[in-house]
Amino acid sequence: MSLEQNETVAAPAPIARRRPVALGPAAILALQAAVVIAIIVGMFALNAAAGKLVMPKPTEVLDQSIKLWSDGTMLKALGESVTVIALGFLFSAVSGILLGVLLGGNRLLSRVFDPFVNALNSTPGAAFIPLIIVWFGLYTEAKIVVVWNAALFPILINTAAGIANANRDLVEMGRAFGAKRAMLFWRIMVPDALPSILSGLRIGAAISTVGTVIAELTMAQSGLGGLLAAAGNRFQMDRYFAVVIVLMALGTALTALLRYAERRLGRWRVVQGEGS
Amino acid sequence: MTEKPIISLRNVTKTFKNGAITALQNVSFDVREGEFLSLVGPSGCGKTTLLRVINGLIDIDAGDVLSLGRTPEPGPDLAMVFQSARLLPWLTVSGNIEFVLELRGMGRSERKERAIALLGAVGLRDFADAYAHELSGGMQQRIGLARALAVEPKVLLMDEPFAALDAMTREVLRRELYEMWSRRKMTIVFVTHDIDEAILLSQTIVLLKPRPGRVDGIVSIDLPEPRFAVDPRTYPQFAQYRSHIWQRIQDMAREGTKLEELAGAFPKDDL
Ligand SMILES: Nc1ncnc2c1ncn2[C@@H]1O[C@H](COP(=O)(O)OP(=O)(O)OP(=O)(O)O)[C@@H](O)[C@H]1O
Ligand SMILES: [Mg+2]
Repeated sequence: MSLEQNETVAAPAPIARRRPVALGPAAILALQAAVVIAIIVGMFALNAAAGKLVMPKPTEVLDQSIKLWSDGTMLKALGESVTVIALGFLFSAVSGILLGVLLGGNRLLSRVFDPFVNALNSTPGAAFIPLIIVWFGLYTEAKIVVVWNAALFPILINTAAGIANANRDLVEMGRAFGAKRAMLFWRIMVPDALPSILSGLRIGAAISTVGTVIAELTMAQSGLGGLLAAAGNRFQMDRYFAVVIVLMALGTALTALLRYAERRLGRWRVVQGEGS
Repeated sequence: MTEKPIISLRNVTKTFKNGAITALQNVSFDVREGEFLSLVGPSGCGKTTLLRVINGLIDIDAGDVLSLGRTPEPGPDLAMVFQSARLLPWLTVSGNIEFVLELRGMGRSERKERAIALLGAVGLRDFADAYAHELSGGMQQRIGLARALAVEPKVLLMDEPFAALDAMTREVLRRELYEMWSRRKMTIVFVTHDIDEAILLSQTIVLLKPRPGRVDGIVSIDLPEPRFAVDPRTYPQFAQYRSHIWQRIQDMAREGTKLEELAGAFPKDDL
């Protein structure tokens, strides 16, 4: 009797267990909302247990957010940070891709400069901040240099590697049909390196955000990093969290933007590599 | 048969790794204009290397090669079809064909038109705007063929073009290739390690043996035309050619290469 019951229960179980995998987007969204609520509840609990220095009340964070946004402080800081991120990333992307193309396409150059590029790449970007301060000062242009310096190498190295490792079979195909060097380079090797270049850019963008906050914390305080430091120093944790939320949103938006670009440019890559 | 050969190799020797590997040793044979010639031999006997030499993709160490009466040089007179189609994945199917037409110096508008016409010729006009990964292996290989035909080559070089396909697709494409060759009478140098395929398609088979790559023998194939009116495998001559070539390959194996490899697989101290 009990055995029979067990069987009737056991049979549909695999189907029931599978169902959550096929959750629709609405259900996923509901689960995510639940996580957010859990975090908010957790913050309230921690606040009640350990005081507002350890964890501010989410309502206070909201109050501070509204205040910072309405008096223009947040917008100004966001503008300053975005300027540094955008210009730093732009310069590192342009110079990183150009230098990467040069090193990836020229075996002599790459062999000569490889150890230097690796040495610079292995040095933490922050190590150069004192030197950059001496050379460029403490303000926006110096911060852009910090970001450029930090984001340059991953972009450069990924570009160079992508080109140096371009698919030999495709290059040989081009040669067999009479393509000359320039054609092989720009029409086969560089496009073939595009996925690698794009992943270099994605890493570079992430580093740009980190580099900007570090520069704003350690050099002349400005932007979101500056707000963060000021709030932290005065133990205004509600204000501090309001800034952190904006930084999170900024980083997420940047990554999403690059993923979108990657998908647009790399439509042909779907399912590739499964064949030959 | 007194006419000058379109491709001729005399005592061609090619080594790799500063002479450590001899890929080709004293290889000599001719390809007549309009001939369908197959290079047959086991893996590593230098078939791909030979095609590269004929195309002018690599230089040789000794001997003489003439393709179309001169030192081989890659260009539109020689077109290659590879074992994997080697389509540029970021271009559409028609873009891939336009790419080689551009290498030939054809104008933009003319290119597009011609690419579409060629896709029609291989039955894939509807896939002009698809990307390579959206097509089956057989379709990709058809496009590889269309791309090679697009440049209107005098010589078509094919490196095991059907080896990666399933048996049915292979059978269909073989027949299509043979019929295309019968109509156009272009010169084809076809690499395969499938004996049947070589006999089905060729007028001449150059048998190669490995380590180092040498010519083992040259076999002329004479089957009733049109060949694919019935299954050519049913011709009595087919069986004769097959057993002849099969025997030569058995002899090659008996020359010791295989036994040596097996012996090496069992270290002495294990025995
Ligand atoms: N670029 C290269 N560098 C070094 N060795 C090479 C190179 N190309 C070919 N070889 C060697 O030359 C020999 C012949 O190679 P090849 O690719 O021409 O053989 P194949 O007959 O086409 O073989 P398969 O049927 O497997 O394609 C092999 O021993 C191979 O290792
Ligand atoms: Mg080969």
